[in-house]
Amino acid sequence: MIVTALKPLDEILDSISPYRKVLIAGCDGCTQPPRGLREAETLKKLLELAGKRWGKDFQFKVLSLVKQCDSFLTASELKPHLEGVEAVLSLACGIGPQTIAELFPELPVLPAQNSHFLGQENREGGALEDRCSACGNCILAQTGGICPLTRCAKGLLNGACGGAREGKCEMDPERDCAWELIYQRLERLGKLDLIREFRPPRNYQAKAWRLTT
Amino acid sequence: MSQPPAESQVAVKINEDYCSRCSICQSLCPFEAISKDAESGQIILEIEKCQVCGICYSACPAKAIDIIYYDCGSLLKYLEKAKPKYKSDTLVIMCKGSAPDFAGIKQIFGVSEFIPLSVPCVGRISEELLLQAMATGIDKIFILACDEDYCRFDRGSPLTGRRVLALNRLLEQLGYGREAVTLKRHSLKVKVDKDLCIACGNCAFYCPYGAPKLESVGGINFDLDACRGCGLCVAVCPAFALEMDNWERERLSTTISQLLAEMKAPKVLIFRCQWAVFPPLNGESNPHVRAIDLPCSARVDAFHILEALQNGADGVLIAACPEDDCRQEGASGRAEHFMGMLKERLNQIGLGDCLHFCHVARRDPEQLDKELEQFNQSLKALATKRGSQ
Repeated sequence: MIVTALKPLDEILDSISPYRKVLIAGCDGCTQPPRGLREAETLKKLLELAGKRWGKDFQFKVLSLVKQCDSFLTASELKPHLEGVEAVLSLACGIGPQTIAELFPELPVLPAQNSHFLGQENREGGALEDRCSACGNCILAQTGGICPLTRCAKGLLNGACGGAREGKCEMDPERDCAWELIYQRLERLGKLDLIREFRPPRNYQAKAWRLTT
Repeated sequence: MSQPPAESQVAVKINEDYCSRCSICQSLCPFEAISKDAESGQIILEIEKCQVCGICYSACPAKAIDIIYYDCGSLLKYLEKAKPKYKSDTLVIMCKGSAPDFAGIKQIFGVSEFIPLSVPCVGRISEELLLQAMATGIDKIFILACDEDYCRFDRGSPLTGRRVLALNRLLEQLGYGREAVTLKRHSLKVKVDKDLCIACGNCAFYCPYGAPKLESVGGINFDLDACRGCGLCVAVCPAFALEMDNWERERLSTTISQLLAEMKAPKVLIFRCQWAVFPPLNGESNPHVRAIDLPCSARVDAFHILEALQNGADGVLIAACPEDDCRQEGASGRAEHFMGMLKERLNQIGLGDCLHFCHVARRDPEQLDKELEQFNQSLKALATKRGSQ
């Protein structure tokens, strides 16, 4: 899942302040939780309350699109609702505003979310955690199914760094040391020899900028 | 609010003078809150374990248990007043955990006019109360209990079933027919609108009971036998595809605007878990405060809170059970988390102080009033500060 978080409201208010008629576009797609109709309605109410306090008479329209990253769907779903709209406030991940910007070159589009990571959903505690950096060169087979590029704070492909204390990262005592997890996992799998293998530095050329399906 | 502090602030007490030490209460208490001292034989109630279901109260043969909410005397007083008001001799006693609206009750029992009596768990209704009600001229009693495995207090609903069975046998012998008291069971559950569902799995992620199943074909399917009606999934559904029986979004919106319209400023709207606070039967009298009962604090919706603030509420108070007391598998903890997030957002627009989340334990009958008093003080200070700016 793509994990996003709502931007601070003053930043959003700042970005929409030149406009009066703003369309808040949710996205039912893959963010967790989806920033769909509920999020759009809730944000509308928050911005209206804020606008009232600061004497701004915003006129919000609210809808939710199926997938803002699908340019065909977004074009057809959004078009009928744009009359009189001065700007679109997108609740999608970073892809949504870019799709809308490409589709409607004259229409200002503003992001309401900060996109953080591709995350794992953990029901215990309701947490979402970064698990994949979309590097284009998956090495999970060598690291026991644990991604060091993502989960090691230093992104080390040949760890551990020596800074961990009791299994926790020196950058953040709450955070597990990815390389310690990898060691334990490989030990259980009886494949500790894998940890001795040298992995070359990340190949940035491996990350594609376009793929056809 | 203006009530003088009670002598003692607990909801249930054992009166040692009357107690015959028979241990019936001990054997029935679903929460092991009652024990017998091995040496003295004295029956001891550990109030911190007590969930105030009232089962011990209704079962005590010596009337040695005092309960603050809905004791036999106050229920009979309510009946006396309600009879002319509802112009009926039919009484419908229901657990508020399973009670639908008026129309729903009419449909379940096939009655058009009745006196409604909603109580937290029918387990607190003793045979004595039913007989006394009949003695005052009630000619038909219906009881609506939760489905047995849905009972918030584990034993309240099954116990009432057995009680009614035994009482009806007795009454039959006295010539009251086969079914002087009719008991039916009902549970309020989630409703899914498949057309609106976006199959995101948020409900499955949060449900404390594992009732929603996200399937690769067909999206979300709810196992309604597992649903315990807390409403958490409804409050987090991103697509408004879920509704909770009796606490639908539109219904709550209508109630919010109705209540705010009849209130006087400064207005404080309370959303309370129906298990955290057992309100008195005579209703609310303070024109500045109104309350909406929810199936669990987890049903509280950011949407409705913002709606209340937009419609003129000066403050919104959320009363939830402490997590240990939550009868919905800790769903009140989720509510606290979500309300914390909402408060943070409200803080960003200078309205954070208008929202107050608090824990209220039903065993302490004055806690909500204290929280409300504190909240009112802080709202007053806020208004003064704003006025002077």
